[in-house]
Amino acid sequence: MSEVLAASGAAATDVSVPAAPGARPFWRRLRAQRAALVAAAVVALLVLVALAAPLLTALEGQDPTSYHPDLIDSARGGVPVGAFGGAGADHWLGVEPQTGRDLFARLVYGARVSLGVALAATVVQIAIGVAVGVGAALGNRWIDQLLSRITDIIVALPLMIMSLALLAIVPQSFPRPVLVALVIGLIAWGNTAKIVRAQTLTLKGLDYVAAARLSGWGAWRITRRELLPGLAAPVITYAALLVPINISTEAALSFLGVGVKPPTPSWGQMLTAADVWYQAAPQYLMLPAGALFVTVVALTVLGDGVRTALDPRAASRLRVGTGRKREAGADKEDTA
Amino acid sequence: MAAASVSLVVAAGAAACGPKDGDAKSGGGDARPHKGGTLSVLNAQPQEDFDPARLYTSGGGNVPSLVFRTLTTRNRENGAAGAKVVPDLATDTGRPSKDATVWTYTLKEGLKYEDGTPITSADVKYGIERSFAPELSGGAPYLRDWLVGAADYQGPYKDKKGLAAIETPDSRTLVFHLNKPEGEFPFLATQTQFAPVPKNKDTGTKYEEHPVSSGPYKVVKNENDGEHLLLERNPNWSAATDAERKAYPDRIDVRSGLDSSVINQRLSASQGADAAAVTTDTNLGPAELAKVSGDKTLAARVGTGHFGYTNYIAFNPKVKPFDNPEVRQAIAYAVDRSSVVNAAGGSALAEPATTFLPNQKSFGYTPYDPFPAGASGNAAKARELLAKAGHKNGLTVTLTHSNSKDFETSPEIATAIQDALKKAGITVKLQGLEDNDYKSKIHDVKSEPGFFLAHWGADWPSGGPFLAPIFDGRQIVKDGANFNTGLLNDTSVNTEIDAINKLTDLDAAARRWGALDKKIGEQALTVPLFHPVYKRLYGKDVKNIVISDWTGVLDISQVAVK
Amino acid sequence: MSAFSGLTGFVLRRAVGALATLLALSVIVYVVFYAAPGDVAQITCGPRCSPEQVHQVAQQLRLDDPLHVRYWHFLQGIVAGHDYSTGTSVEHCPAPCLGVSYQSGRQVMDIITAKLPVSLSLVSGAMVLWLVLGVGTGVLSAWRRGRISERVLTAVTLAGTATPVFVIGLVLMIVVCGEFQWLPFPQYVSLTDDPEQWAWNLLLPWLSLALIEAATFARLTRAAMLETLAEDHIRTFRAYGVGERSVVGRHALRGALAPVIALNANNLGSAVGGAVLTETLFGLPGIGQELVHAVDVVDLPVVVGMVLIVGFFVVVANTVADVLFAVADRRVVLA
Repeated sequence: MSEVLAASGAAATDVSVPAAPGARPFWRRLRAQRAALVAAAVVALLVLVALAAPLLTALEGQDPTSYHPDLIDSARGGVPVGAFGGAGADHWLGVEPQTGRDLFARLVYGARVSLGVALAATVVQIAIGVAVGVGAALGNRWIDQLLSRITDIIVALPLMIMSLALLAIVPQSFPRPVLVALVIGLIAWGNTAKIVRAQTLTLKGLDYVAAARLSGWGAWRITRRELLPGLAAPVITYAALLVPINISTEAALSFLGVGVKPPTPSWGQMLTAADVWYQAAPQYLMLPAGALFVTVVALTVLGDGVRTALDPRAASRLRVGTGRKREAGADKEDTA
Repeated sequence: MAAASVSLVVAAGAAACGPKDGDAKSGGGDARPHKGGTLSVLNAQPQEDFDPARLYTSGGGNVPSLVFRTLTTRNRENGAAGAKVVPDLATDTGRPSKDATVWTYTLKEGLKYEDGTPITSADVKYGIERSFAPELSGGAPYLRDWLVGAADYQGPYKDKKGLAAIETPDSRTLVFHLNKPEGEFPFLATQTQFAPVPKNKDTGTKYEEHPVSSGPYKVVKNENDGEHLLLERNPNWSAATDAERKAYPDRIDVRSGLDSSVINQRLSASQGADAAAVTTDTNLGPAELAKVSGDKTLAARVGTGHFGYTNYIAFNPKVKPFDNPEVRQAIAYAVDRSSVVNAAGGSALAEPATTFLPNQKSFGYTPYDPFPAGASGNAAKARELLAKAGHKNGLTVTLTHSNSKDFETSPEIATAIQDALKKAGITVKLQGLEDNDYKSKIHDVKSEPGFFLAHWGADWPSGGPFLAPIFDGRQIVKDGANFNTGLLNDTSVNTEIDAINKLTDLDAAARRWGALDKKIGEQALTVPLFHPVYKRLYGKDVKNIVISDWTGVLDISQVAVK
Repeated sequence: MSAFSGLTGFVLRRAVGALATLLALSVIVYVVFYAAPGDVAQITCGPRCSPEQVHQVAQQLRLDDPLHVRYWHFLQGIVAGHDYSTGTSVEHCPAPCLGVSYQSGRQVMDIITAKLPVSLSLVSGAMVLWLVLGVGTGVLSAWRRGRISERVLTAVTLAGTATPVFVIGLVLMIVVCGEFQWLPFPQYVSLTDDPEQWAWNLLLPWLSLALIEAATFARLTRAAMLETLAEDHIRTFRAYGVGERSVVGRHALRGALAPVIALNANNLGSAVGGAVLTETLFGLPGIGQELVHAVDVVDLPVVVGMVLIVGFFVVVANTVADVLFAVADRRVVLA
């Protein structure tokens, strides 16, 4: 049941994900999945668009912050003039109500923030999760107990509620995108730590690691040479599933008014501003919602693909249905 | 704006609308209002404080005024007539001594609480005294500033002797002794602190759960700290002693904690009980206005009002480069008021402002524009002034604003200013603060930023409470909440404020406030941006819409649903 | 170890662990929030208070005491309750006392008990929906694996995870309540007052919250079922000619139940997060809406109380899930 929980992207109490296969079969297996390939292409395109935002807007001849009061109807609350929100040759996707700012430019610049915050948060989550998980698995009984209890507490912290409260009390001088990434990363590493601990315990029991330990290698050397490579697969899998969750979290925090602030365009913040315009200027809501949707779907499908490619058993199971025994839970290992 | 953080409007600017030219229409069908029915009030903010001591209102508030009668009250009429003060519990608006330092009031005869016991002058005195108790803080500071010996008074719980500045020679007479002339005392007497509180029913901080009514309705339910208030007729209220409140509906059901976009959706759908619904705190936002303006039947159900309110840029002249008047003037020229107005919701929801005083006669509005920049700013003139000030190659400054989504000191306005100043060679960095943080920073002389967005609303419709807190040099507070953000301490301004406060002829006073505003405006300590216009929907069965220039909002004491 | 072996011992150890977790949680939350910058007394007193008044309020709120003394007092309050002065009278705050709101003067526990029914109504109703929808979709797509209908279901559940609850909810509300007027605009009616109206009004919020969460469960159920279907004994069933419907419906589904229980407990925290958004959007007076408001006005006792109460539910849910696991799978206990 274990990697299934990880796959749900939600949480796993006691999880172990199989060790990495060689690199070549991985790519072969990834290529074999059409959906994952399409998703990978979409993700690559999104990253490219985010990186090339200045270039693309220059091509359009617009920027994300300039006001165009002539393109909106002030007497009617600032709704864009013309059909499709004022879309045309000058403004490819129309303009924003109230300001007349170019929507295409805001959307592509927003991609930078949304993807950047989500990736940065994931890096923090993975870094802390791996450190705590490996520490717990390799440390003595007390260290393990301490780190595992801390992990339990962290898992008990409701992410949305804690970040809502934290983001509101941290001084505003702190750069907002960095703060959002940090807060998400610092609160939501619990499940990563649990997965890493369980996986490390499994690896520790394997013959070659035991052999290395018996031959007198230090903990650090064992970690670096034997454990970390074995952890790469489950960690990458879990990271791929964390990114879309983090994107959604950033959007939700912006909706509640504590996320990234204007004029920085992020998709979440655009959605917040746009939701009341649903009836008067629907494209204003649909554009960021669509962008968010496509990104989360693509990243999730890609994450699934990576998992399948990394897990030969899952792959073979889907083909021929070879069985396997469930692995024992971490509680068993606790007292073992 | 489904935003969660609808900013808490603590002070006077709670709510506002009022038809400028008396253009409010009453509901369709039989236009004549009848008694009966239940009026629903759909609100965003819960009525958390319902203790008359803790409420900070302009003219006694909307819902509170249904339960609390005060010595005087606002005139419940459309437009400018509604900006006048009229008697309520008292027989007149107060009789001043010659220098306006002693004010005498007589209570009407036959006034009763909801339990039938008579209202006495001692109860009014007690109501004022308990507003000085620290645990019941929250009201306007005027009583403490004005009453003789009140500066250190701690309320009747600690100090049983009471306030000597209020005399009650008999059960119907009150005499107030002020430490300086205050011609506008009758305006202050409209606030809920002037509501009677029977001493034997006072339960301290719990009093708000069931305050004893002196008005046409009594509190039947107050659930979840003001989230759901149910008011029913007070049988002991007599219309004969109350010329102002009409009290048509039998019940008033106030529901709050609703999202503002949901409120407007419900009012526009107007189904079921929502047909007899109004809101006392939620305006139409720009997006909703865009939708409503395209629909004639909906547009006919919009009440439009003006409340004395100004949104402006404030400077702290102690911070460089804003110590240089030419820099401040350059910014005044560079500002693009049309894009600011758009950010505030467009020309239907905001009117460009060049004066600090609101554009209403009762404030003493005198049109002037010391730095005429046209509708969209004069970048060339701004550059010229900057060059003169020694910033030929432009300038980089930081603009501080609040992050609350209220279309007034919000990021939307700040980015509009940022964009306009760019054209004049001024690079603006935005510093957006959480609303509480923003408020504590701008009102602390030690942390006040040099360049920030601010707003000011009227405690009552007159120039005094508009200009004095902001420009009176003696009101600069060194270690506490300071509102004189321009740190102006000009003897000629201070003496003129004192001179006007002596006047009990309010029209004459208004003219002089207008002249003073013009004089201060030339110093460019503020750049007025816009005066908001309030538009609110009401349900299709709602009749007798009255919107005064005092509150700017539909007065629920006048509304009928039958 | 020997004294408490078996299930009882396991349950006891888990309970003690949960208690320790809650205690540590309270320390972390308390310190994080009360060490925050900002002048609480000034905010409570109002924008135009004099320094003397602010000082007085600070004294009344014990803000001059050092942090650990206040925390100790706070903990005492939870265990034994305590008395406090309102100025006119001394009030008793019975255990578990989470303190008194600076803003409204009400006891935090009273606020929570007033708001909890709304949040419980929302989350429990939505939970039923998301379990039914999620597990149903998961079973269906595992059963129909490889066919068009599975792809459609996969696409739908993906769409569910990828759309923010505030977009789904808003669009649902505008269409269902505004345009077609099929349902009333949600307004909370107490279950005890009118059960029919309660359900009617909550239908839309339930649906919005459930759609998001159901997607996660659908993916989990599908994956767990595929895994079970691949196991030896299932192959044996098949080999013996047990019908596909019976294999999927009876045997494979049983294998998927354990992870679904685990996920449900684990997911409670994120579901509460979704509830914050749903309550805010629909204007339901629950814990989430109160928290957003308390954060807005920096009402620290309420914020701390709410975070702790949600943490409490998450910890309890996880502990219960662990115990259920143990009951279902004796191997865990025996080890």
